[in-house]
Amino acid sequence: MFTLFIKLLDRLFERGTRQVAQRSSRRGALVRIGKLFVASAFVLPVLPFDRTGQAFAAQDAKRKQTKDDTRCDYWRYCAQDGYLCACCGGSATTCPPGTEASKVSWVGTCRNPDDGKDYLISYNDCCGKTSCGRCMCATSERERPGYRLGLHNDINWCMANDTSVFHCTTALVVGLAEGEA
Amino acid sequence: MAFQFTQQSTAIQPNAINLENQVKKSFRVKSLLFGLCAGFAMQAHALEPDVLTVTRMAPADAYRVYIADPNFSSLVDGRMHVIDGQNMRYLGMVSTGFSGLSALSPDRSELYVATTYYARLNHGERTDVVDIHDATTLARKEEIVIPPRHAQGTASRTLIQTSFDGSLLYVQNATPATSVTVVDLRNRKVLAEVPTPGCWAVYPSPTVASRFSAMCGNGSMLTLTLDEAGQVATRKQSAPFFDPDSDPVFPMYDRNGDKFVFVSFHGKVYQADLSGEMASVEPGWSLVGATDAKAGWRPGGYQLLATERAAGRLYVAMHDKGEEGSHKNPAKEIWVIDLASHKRIARMPGHNAVSMATSRGEKPRLYLLDATNNDLIAYDLGAKPKLFKRMPAIGNTPIHLELQ
Repeated sequence: MFTLFIKLLDRLFERGTRQVAQRSSRRGALVRIGKLFVASAFVLPVLPFDRTGQAFAAQDAKRKQTKDDTRCDYWRYCAQDGYLCACCGGSATTCPPGTEASKVSWVGTCRNPDDGKDYLISYNDCCGKTSCGRCMCATSERERPGYRLGLHNDINWCMANDTSVFHCTTALVVGLAEGEA
Repeated sequence: MAFQFTQQSTAIQPNAINLENQVKKSFRVKSLLFGLCAGFAMQAHALEPDVLTVTRMAPADAYRVYIADPNFSSLVDGRMHVIDGQNMRYLGMVSTGFSGLSALSPDRSELYVATTYYARLNHGERTDVVDIHDATTLARKEEIVIPPRHAQGTASRTLIQTSFDGSLLYVQNATPATSVTVVDLRNRKVLAEVPTPGCWAVYPSPTVASRFSAMCGNGSMLTLTLDEAGQVATRKQSAPFFDPDSDPVFPMYDRNGDKFVFVSFHGKVYQADLSGEMASVEPGWSLVGATDAKAGWRPGGYQLLATERAAGRLYVAMHDKGEEGSHKNPAKEIWVIDLASHKRIARMPGHNAVSMATSRGEKPRLYLLDATNNDLIAYDLGAKPKLFKRMPAIGNTPIHLELQ
């Protein structure tokens, strides 16, 4: 599964961005991002648009907690953008009954306050049913515009599924961030 | 009326055969009663019964506002609200399907909506189309089937635009491979699909219909020129003009004459000439002074900037105490910047705006969308911006504005 998605990504998106970066980037920024994807994340799918007022509210919660995944201040949700699957019959790592896991996702980096380490988080959407409508959470740490699509959350990451209708969003730990041991 | 009665009858009859009889009987009786009553009423009061018709909108003035609302809590059912921004009155709605992207024709006679429909609402065969609506009546009149790849992103003018002359429509795709579908609007057909790997958004050339640019992940601008068949004739990448790591540029833009105006996360302003085969971008300059930078003032929002073209002014949604992840925060203030001198000439209340747009033509107005209550707020521009009117609570999750 892991390999499959790396291949998918490489075929669909990553290879092209690397070509562009290698051709003309002064700092090869995309190459670095590309390596990050290949080395670790890009497991599954996720995320759509933003409700900005709520995003703003979420920003107020500076202190992250590690116990309750139905709250927007749960540490893995630092770059969330969607209804929390934990409030929709699933959890931070499972899709609600009868939905489908997204095939592509975007990746964030969040700090776990318990060990102080930064982890790569794959924000996979769950797809195939209409919007869950519960526990909207929109945060955008290290989120970037669509020219860095793998870091972008103003788009529906159910996009590659047979049914791309967005239901809710999960947050899977898929690795340690660069520099963490 | 009679039909309504029979509908109610069907709803409470459990037996199919009885139901049919009941329906017929009910229909006859109710029709008869309705006819008698109506006739009596007319005789007694000479009442003219109402006849249901469809409202025709008055011709648009410069202040008609089109508000994209993806309806986040039920994304399969997006919509666009059409508002009379002079009287702050609701004029009507356009359905925009699932994750629709919309653009107006340059003459504002047509509205194009690139969207997704599933045969069974949330499953079944996916069909992506450009729905064409008559902007003067809000009636849907045609569709063009497009490749089922349109970017299901937050509604934005960066993801769909016509060419400057209205002959072509550029639609952003994401699978997540990125490409652009080019639609021939005159012949109502798809002309081509052009890959734009590593790049995002469509910026149509202000002078050549078959040319558009896109912003790329290495901080450069890619410009593609197509031949008549829609094939890529030239593909030119500018030198990088911003650093996507230390200070990313928002893809959102507004126009200053023929130039495209952008701002970065930290408040640098870039003006790009996208008319030629290769983009030419002027050196960036900061709209945030040293003291304000220290207080963390930064741009934020979605449609976070707008230009007042005749005056050469830029309006930017700003918030203080900015930090990593605050780039979509609603505005605490709107800053007014003179594009020629680079000087800030006014600070306006922010109204928690996440989106804004200015009207075209004389006596321009600035329209803001308040993210906390979906209010539409209008300012008369001029020497000193002045609050004009506010219209409360429009739609469910409005996110983008276009003016007549």
